[in-house]
Amino acid sequence: MHTAISDLDVPGTQSTPFISSHWETGELHMKGNSYPENSFEFFGQVFTWIEAYLAGDNGPLTLRLTLIYMNTSSVKAMMDILDLLEEAHEQGRAVEVNWLYDPRNERVMEMAEEFREDYTFPFHIVPTPDEDD
Amino acid sequence: MSSIDLYGLRSHFNRDQILLCFNGPISRSLIEEIGNALRNYLEADRAGPGAAMDVFAIYIELTQNIRHYVSRMGYSDRDGTATVVVARDDRGHYVIMAGNLVEPEDGQTLLERVESLAAMDKAELKAAYKAQLRKPREEGALSGAGLGLTDVARKSVEPLSARLSSMEGDQRVFFSLRAVI
Repeated sequence: MHTAISDLDVPGTQSTPFISSHWETGELHMKGNSYPENSFEFFGQVFTWIEAYLAGDNGPLTLRLTLIYMNTSSVKAMMDILDLLEEAHEQGRAVEVNWLYDPRNERVMEMAEEFREDYTFPFHIVPTPDEDD
Repeated sequence: MSSIDLYGLRSHFNRDQILLCFNGPISRSLIEEIGNALRNYLEADRAGPGAAMDVFAIYIELTQNIRHYVSRMGYSDRDGTATVVVARDDRGHYVIMAGNLVEPEDGQTLLERVESLAAMDKAELKAAYKAQLRKPREEGALSGAGLGLTDVARKSVEPLSARLSSMEGDQRVFFSLRAVI
């Protein structure tokens, strides 16, 4: 039996998204804009949690992303995270990304599609009118 | 020395349809605050959500590039001054310009980079962007600027343009970049 690391519960700010993770269900949710100056530091906590979850559990991993604008360093940090999922997927692990976006802003969809191009795990891009959840 | 002609300055801004102009040392929080103002102006200006996001994205990449450069060079507030302008052109496009002081050799490198990006079509820019994303971090002297500039070039509806202006009494140069949405 492995020990779970603490779940993330990070409130959003103007330039950083809200993050919440649930080890028991294997879900991680990020929502908001992401343009911190030091994205690697900020996304480090997400990377660490996912790495620990993938190593310490056998359950499925689902990322629910409701990210809007991302600066290029956030995009790069996100790519590192999705690379972790791809690696796990190749080893037979159930991983999945659901990217929700407001259909009024097609830029978000285009960005999600560019991410999806590089991966083979299930990656759903879902138009979702913004109802605050 | 003449006093500052505020009305003249205002007339100049109005004539050039300048929505937003900033000249001074920039901090992280200032970038965010000006960014908020920019978002509000774009909304009031009835920019579509896609165009508004592109203008905002270019503003963020260019100002963060300047911040990274200034901190890496250890410039003082005065030397780290950024000049940022967002305006409309006659066809209703948004023009985003940003400039800062750089070492002459960095200015030359940046100019060459901008020229090579300006010569690429959208497919080549996308390929360059994806290749840069995959490069290990902290590669090359102007690492931070690489991906950001390529992203700006991809979004711009006109090829990027840049220039270097020499400064009186300073061996450094003023690098300025222009993108259009």
